[in-house]
Amino acid sequence: MRRDLVCSAILLCIAALYYVATTGIQVSTLEDEVGPRGLPTVLAALLAMVAIIIGVRALVSSPAGAGDETEAEAHWLRAIGMLAIGALYIPVASVLGYWLALALLILAVPAYERMKPSWRMFAVAAGGATFFWLLFDVVLGVRQPEGILF
Amino acid sequence: MDQFAQALTMLVTTPVVPAALAGLIWGILGGAMPGLSASITMALLLPFTYTLAPMPAIVMLATCYIGAEYGGSIPAILIRTPGTNAAAATVLDGYEMNRQGRAGEALGISLWSGVVGGLFGLTMLIMLTEPLSRLALLFKPTTYFGLGILGLSVIASLSSKSLLKGLAAALLGLMIATIGTDPISGVSRFTFGTPDLLDGIQPLFIMVGLYAVTELMMRSGVASKIMKPNASIRVRLPRFPMMKKIARSQAIGCTVGTLEGLMPGAGGTIASFIAYNEAKRWSKHPEKFGHGSEEGVAGPEAANNTVASASLIPLLSFGIPASNSGAVLLGGLLIHGLLPGPRLFEQNADVITGLYVGSFVADIAQVIIGILVLPLCIWLVNRPKPYLSAFIFALVLSGVYTVHMSLFDVGIVLSAGLLGYFMKYFGLPFLPAVLGVVLGVKLIESNYRRSLVLSGGDFGIFLEDPIAIAFFALAAIIMIGSLVNEWRAARARKASLA
Repeated sequence: MRRDLVCSAILLCIAALYYVATTGIQVSTLEDEVGPRGLPTVLAALLAMVAIIIGVRALVSSPAGAGDETEAEAHWLRAIGMLAIGALYIPVASVLGYWLALALLILAVPAYERMKPSWRMFAVAAGGATFFWLLFDVVLGVRQPEGILF
Repeated sequence: MDQFAQALTMLVTTPVVPAALAGLIWGILGGAMPGLSASITMALLLPFTYTLAPMPAIVMLATCYIGAEYGGSIPAILIRTPGTNAAAATVLDGYEMNRQGRAGEALGISLWSGVVGGLFGLTMLIMLTEPLSRLALLFKPTTYFGLGILGLSVIASLSSKSLLKGLAAALLGLMIATIGTDPISGVSRFTFGTPDLLDGIQPLFIMVGLYAVTELMMRSGVASKIMKPNASIRVRLPRFPMMKKIARSQAIGCTVGTLEGLMPGAGGTIASFIAYNEAKRWSKHPEKFGHGSEEGVAGPEAANNTVASASLIPLLSFGIPASNSGAVLLGGLLIHGLLPGPRLFEQNADVITGLYVGSFVADIAQVIIGILVLPLCIWLVNRPKPYLSAFIFALVLSGVYTVHMSLFDVGIVLSAGLLGYFMKYFGLPFLPAVLGVVLGVKLIESNYRRSLVLSGGDFGIFLEDPIAIAFFALAAIIMIGSLVNEWRAARARKASLA
């Protein structure tokens, strides 16, 4: 029940923010009957309605309702940590270049998954980065990000 | 006859065979890895197809789906962990056969049933798709708008336990689709001065983020309880008496798979469980089911492989995908500027013929490839999970970069992953969101506004089109039915608690 209430509140916030952003859409001289704001406004209103109904239903339903079922397995902080490793790849690749950034990523993920550091981890990271570099840059001919340093 | 000759020529003059084999191998390997569903395996392949010509790209994605359905049965039989959701029913008897020392036989039955199911599904696909797509010639902008609403409401109702959550997910997808340049007036919407957003957000990035990045986040820190399969197991294809014995079960699987493949939101998982139950009901030895019955492996495997081809029928005819994997394939079509419907058959006949030929090649080659790549699958399943996660992450980040050679796209994919994590956390299904992103502006908004431009702003135009009215009515019936079911389930839950 609590999870559905939080879900309802978040959806309501998204609907409100989206609506505010909708008001910033420029008016065009080429505008048709509906205009570029038409669908976004309807979507914001519909999402707000759905969010309210989810919230009300969570309040009136029994505490042991199905709404508390979850498919999530990892703790949310751990999951966000994994995402942060991916996010760090962006600035690191911009500075250190593709090969080094990817090797660091392949090293960081097992370390984050609590794997004991070993020479094998470094070898897998170096081998993995080389494999992907060969696959994308050499075989497919797609230049991966070049860093400021390398 | 002309088409047959064209298909034969295609085998030698185009890259259809290598594309089909590459997609098949990729699909088997991805499907064999527990946690990677068919749609995730396809989503990981999607960025690679961006650099290919439309025909091999679509062939690769479709055959990847075929391969993933067989691949999913490998860990289901060997370690009681289905590689894909659709292989869950295979665990019941497949793993029992393994415990009785008949793992090779179970894998052989799974492989053979996959071939039978795949070929049957392909026959249905070839027979039904084009005639159905001709119906779409009668469609006007109002009809397309009605079809979009029907597609979204069916998916929202069927792909989730809660209609409201399905609708919320669809609305989130539609909201993402509105980012970029307005298709009618050319005004930019929700770009916040960022040039990278002017072309909108590619559905590809949302799919890779939702399916692949979310899965990596979900698995983070979760201890792997997967058993280690025996590396010495080899596939044993069934001999003629066994083929005869499992034929009835396969026929049931093929029928169920075709019907489920046609229904949006149903997919291979439901098909394989229904096929299992029906095969048991019609079997001469129902008591053997659950204790290592060969028919118990054949039915579900034939069903989920039939779905892989049959689910392309509504996708290619009307642009409405029946499953997550179908949605990824639709994304692949759109990336290459291919719009499903009758025009696809007229203007891009080579893509359609290539798809048929590629699927046929993959179905046949599955027998050999399935045997050859088994040791590699077992080796992959035995790798430490953290390394697999690291390599998948590296593949996602590198693959996405290849699309526009932009790190901004990598950021979009990671954001979609974050959205996907919270959607899973709150029980919002992915498929309606993906469908919202894919169909949002192209099918729903454009046709809605075009209809009103045609009528001079008169909303009555939607009531002048009988097919559109039928679509709206069907959408309303499905949604009301879904709400009633939910209400009944809630009442039953309350009664059981009291």
